Amino acid sequence: MSVPELLITILLSPLAAAGLIWLFGRKNHNLAAGLSVLAAGVSMVCGLILLYSVWDGTVVEGMRVEWLSLGALQISLGFLLNPVSALMLGVVTFVGFWIHVFSLGYMQGDAGKGRFFGGLSIFMFSMLGIVLADNLFMIFIFWELVGFSSYMLIGHYLTEEAAAASKKAFIVNRVGDFGLLLGIIYTYWNFGTTDFGALEQAIGGHPGAVSTVVGLLLFCGVLGKSAQMPLHVWLPDAMAGPTPISALIHAATMVAAGVFLLARLAFVFTPEALEVIAWVGTITAVCAAIWAFAQRDIKKILAYSTLSQLGYMVAAFGFGTLYALDHGSSAGHTAAAFGVGAAMFHLTTHAFFKALMFLGSGSVIHACHHEQDIFKMGGLLKKMPITGITFGIGVLAIAGVPLLSGFYSKDAILYLARETNTIAFYLLTFTALLTATYMGRLFFIAFWGKAKSEHAEHAHESPMTMWLPLVVLAVLSIIGGYTVGGPFTIYPSSILGVLGDSVPELHGSDHTLFIIISLVAATIGLLGAYLFYGAGATEDRLEQRMRPLWALSKSRFYFDEIYGWYVARIQDRVADFIDFMDAFLIGGVAVRGSAGITGLFGLLARSFHTGNAGSYVWWFFIGLLTIWGFASGFLTNLF
Amino acid sequence: MSSLAILSFLDGLANVLRSVDDIPLINQGILMLSVLLPLCVAVSLATSGTLSDRVVRGWACFGFLFPALGALWLWATYQATVSDGGYTFELISETGLEAFGIYFALGLNGISMPLFLMAGIVGLAAGFYAIQSNVERKRLYLILLLIMQTGLMGLFASVDVLFYYLFHEFALIPTFVMIAIWGGQGRKRVALEMTIYLTFGAMLTLVGLIALYVTSGASSFNMISLRDALIETEASKTIFGFLLIGFGVLVSLFPFHSWAPSGYAKAPASAAMLHAGVLKKFGLYGLIQIALPVLPTGFETWAPVLLWLALGNVIVIGFVTMGQRDLKMMLGNASVMHMGYAFLGIYAYSTMGVGGAVLMMVAHGLSIAVLFLLADAISIRTGTTEFSELGGLGKTAPVLMGFFVAATMASIGLPGFGNFWGELSIFVALYQGEAPWAVIPVLAGIVISAVYGLRAVAKVFFGESKLEYTGGDLTAKEKLPAVILLFALLALGFWPRGISDNLNAAVEAGLPQSGITHAANNAHPTE
Amino acid sequence: MNIGLSHFLFVSGMLFAIGFFGVLLRRNVLVIFMCLELMLTASILGLVSFSRYNATEGEFLWSGNVFVLFIIAIAASEVAVGLAIMVALWRRRQSVDVANHAELKN
Repeated sequence: MSVPELLITILLSPLAAAGLIWLFGRKNHNLAAGLSVLAAGVSMVCGLILLYSVWDGTVVEGMRVEWLSLGALQISLGFLLNPVSALMLGVVTFVGFWIHVFSLGYMQGDAGKGRFFGGLSIFMFSMLGIVLADNLFMIFIFWELVGFSSYMLIGHYLTEEAAAASKKAFIVNRVGDFGLLLGIIYTYWNFGTTDFGALEQAIGGHPGAVSTVVGLLLFCGVLGKSAQMPLHVWLPDAMAGPTPISALIHAATMVAAGVFLLARLAFVFTPEALEVIAWVGTITAVCAAIWAFAQRDIKKILAYSTLSQLGYMVAAFGFGTLYALDHGSSAGHTAAAFGVGAAMFHLTTHAFFKALMFLGSGSVIHACHHEQDIFKMGGLLKKMPITGITFGIGVLAIAGVPLLSGFYSKDAILYLARETNTIAFYLLTFTALLTATYMGRLFFIAFWGKAKSEHAEHAHESPMTMWLPLVVLAVLSIIGGYTVGGPFTIYPSSILGVLGDSVPELHGSDHTLFIIISLVAATIGLLGAYLFYGAGATEDRLEQRMRPLWALSKSRFYFDEIYGWYVARIQDRVADFIDFMDAFLIGGVAVRGSAGITGLFGLLARSFHTGNAGSYVWWFFIGLLTIWGFASGFLTNLF
Repeated sequence: MSSLAILSFLDGLANVLRSVDDIPLINQGILMLSVLLPLCVAVSLATSGTLSDRVVRGWACFGFLFPALGALWLWATYQATVSDGGYTFELISETGLEAFGIYFALGLNGISMPLFLMAGIVGLAAGFYAIQSNVERKRLYLILLLIMQTGLMGLFASVDVLFYYLFHEFALIPTFVMIAIWGGQGRKRVALEMTIYLTFGAMLTLVGLIALYVTSGASSFNMISLRDALIETEASKTIFGFLLIGFGVLVSLFPFHSWAPSGYAKAPASAAMLHAGVLKKFGLYGLIQIALPVLPTGFETWAPVLLWLALGNVIVIGFVTMGQRDLKMMLGNASVMHMGYAFLGIYAYSTMGVGGAVLMMVAHGLSIAVLFLLADAISIRTGTTEFSELGGLGKTAPVLMGFFVAATMASIGLPGFGNFWGELSIFVALYQGEAPWAVIPVLAGIVISAVYGLRAVAKVFFGESKLEYTGGDLTAKEKLPAVILLFALLALGFWPRGISDNLNAAVEAGLPQSGITHAANNAHPTE
Repeated sequence: MNIGLSHFLFVSGMLFAIGFFGVLLRRNVLVIFMCLELMLTASILGLVSFSRYNATEGEFLWSGNVFVLFIIAIAASEVAVGLAIMVALWRRRQSVDVANHAELKN
């Protein structure tokens, strides 16, 4: 099969599955599940074939179809395949498939299983649309669709909590989309096109051709989708959805779409915009890491961890692109390559180990009968060895222990930060330390020590549909970091352009320095967590011993409270006030008022009708006189 | 069947035969029948003495089905044969008022074709829903709906301006009766207020239209000949003012919108579907088809007013909608808000903007019709439409929830449904106009609509139910009209070119290129 | 004293005025009717006197008299109809006072 054919299959098979599920699979849940997994498998297989054998790494633009043409507006849909999107394609299809497999086991017995798998397929379709899009309008279309799938899936359990969470996710995303759409419209009118290739040619190399504002507007979309501050509030709440969703959408793929957009649009950002982007990322990374400490719910901890890692990716993009702009092109790299490379690399490794950990937490939650508080777990490593070990590998990876994938990608980011802005470098390193600590806290409390509740006592390993993906992802979490310089690499040569050349190589003393930094951070973090929290503790020691720190962490800097206050006190009150004014002024005074005035005229006219025949004769007489007056010219002469 | 029915049929057929010189052409016949058949069916239902319920339902079903299928056929033919968006299927017959320039002329062009199709589909869905519903005095109800349907189809198919007005009245008066008889609490006052308000607006447009005819010196009220008569004088400003305010009242432009929310909340389901879905678009259609091509200087004078009023629609009514606590009131206000977008598309005065407005009109008609249908289904099952009393319907009625979520997503502009294309075109067009800053509040509207739309879904379907719910999920008969509408929405969303190609050409031809400094069509972005 | 046209017209005018003010000011419906007839009579008188005094020598002027015949016929039919309505009103309200028949008020 040729490249375009493969791309079409990859894109459309989940859509076909979704359609079939909607028609036939709502009652027949197993059929729905089977169709969905099959479609994901087809996508994955085609994706792998594409990457490993058919595609040679050259940029492919194709199958452009004009979808709407109204006057000066032309919107077309087409494919753009370059190393960045190919990498993303690989990650999405591969991780997506294994999460589908996991869902087979996890969603067993759920009443809405058919609906769930339909939603999963729609999500895959939308996400792949984002990955393969060749222009901004098309990305926006699929961007919105992804938001919709996320809404549907977060709200899967139909509880009050799910309602609030899904609403929040969609609305916060929409706020980001508001900025994104403004940026897209501006781009369209300035350049006549939103096609990535054409834009790159028009702008690439002269970032001054477009203003900082446009870059920041487009970044708004990233703020929403990738949950950067201040639009990060929806991600922790999104944990109300089923765990496979949290893994797929809110860890590996959808939230990474923002980073992907940045990578696609790397040439648009001016240095000022990049500064802002980098700092937003850094601050998100640090703050989220601080907030993770006061969380007791295993999924919430992972959610804040995701926020933090996304901050890393965004910061990587910012600092890396700044670095490349400062140092100019060297050794054949384009100016934007380092930022893109580092961000995409971390995106990939993060997808592996975060999806792994989320699925692991799903396995744990499933085994403990939906208990999610880590302080009620404990001793799970013995009871669920596969889950425990794979989860441990994930923890090591995220902590940045050398030789695992996370180390390589995080190193690249720290290096770029150091080269560009020392303060950010210290902050990010501190965050790495915090990351190791809170992940260690999670692992030691949940998996070591003694079981602290009935459910944890009776936990047992999950079925194969659930542990097999864990194993696969664990393996990738280990070997996913080896690219050009490593002993071997799992990545095809077509992608190595992004992962290899575009990621800064550390040599000599830098190389050693960063190994030491990572090792030290990871060790201090993990060891510190073990010593401070103790294995299998029943209560949070930070809460007990260092209450102020704990309170600071738990407050999450009051973002949710501020937004909630704004909605309830300001927005709703303004809405009520305007509603009242509308009903009173326009509906009441203007409309009923004019009806009333007309009524008054009516009353006036009615008063002439006395019903008394005598008075009618008087009127007759007066009328007669008036007519006589006009006829004889008497009255007309008077006026 | 009564003899009257047969007679009306034959009369219609005879008209067809009389109107063309030689062999009656099928398409024109279908057009004529699509317009007049519902009226004939209504008359025959009204005059046929006692009929069994099944016969009434079957006959009414036919009355709704034929125009929809006819419209589909005509659309397919149009797509296949025409590519310049011009008028086809023309059919002109004498009325005896030729001295005043009034002929009975039907025809469709790139702008009216999609609206005609939408009217047919929405009418079909509304009709089906009414037929399977449990309203009292169903026969009268169906008769009124059928008369409305003639009005709706006829207006879009009409090429003569005064027949446009006539069909508008055909569509409006039955609404009055329907709200007054089958409405909810306080229906009499609401029906009166709405009808008088709308008639007032129609009166303003009538003044404007007649003034247009007289000033232009055209030979007849035929839209095609009026179009060629560009009016550049001072009178253009006054005439456009009349038309803008008059049509604005019909479409619930900002300060003239009070009739809409309560009117739709109190109206019975099918009436609300037809009114909010189709009737509301009459004014916009009139502006696009009649006013814009002929009155460019008038437009230019009134453009700032239009901008501010339309922004009022989006922002002010957006907030009002957010504050609503009743489902149907919310839907009524939401439809007012969305008309703001369409007006802004017209304000942008470019092919993109006006074309986007038409796309939006078609998609909005379909989506608001589904929403009102489902709102009625909800109120039947729960006995209320207050948010504070609703909840937990998702567990007992998952299909209803799915449809409602789909319709809500459509109306807030999710890609995949037609509304997205319309809104996007309008947004992009607005930026290029005289007031690019206006895009910012308008885009804020997409956040506002997400807020109230999702809040409604959350309040109705999530959580636990607070009341006893009767009836289960949607029945097959209720599903059918909803599926028809949703399918049309999806089709438009996936393949907007089915409408936009001819629409593009028609709008392009309609907007005058007389050197106005306002946003011109030819300021293409640089390549 | 020579009785001329003006004397007849004066009488006619007085009769007309009496009838006119009677219609305006009297409350009994029957009396109003009689005053209506008075006005008609006044106009008849005027017509006859015009026709008498405007006749030239040897030639009669018939027009006024003929007109009078018309008026008498019309007056008679009008009275018939009016009295019938009045009887119907009496049956409703048992009163012939105009003030009692104000149902058309407002």
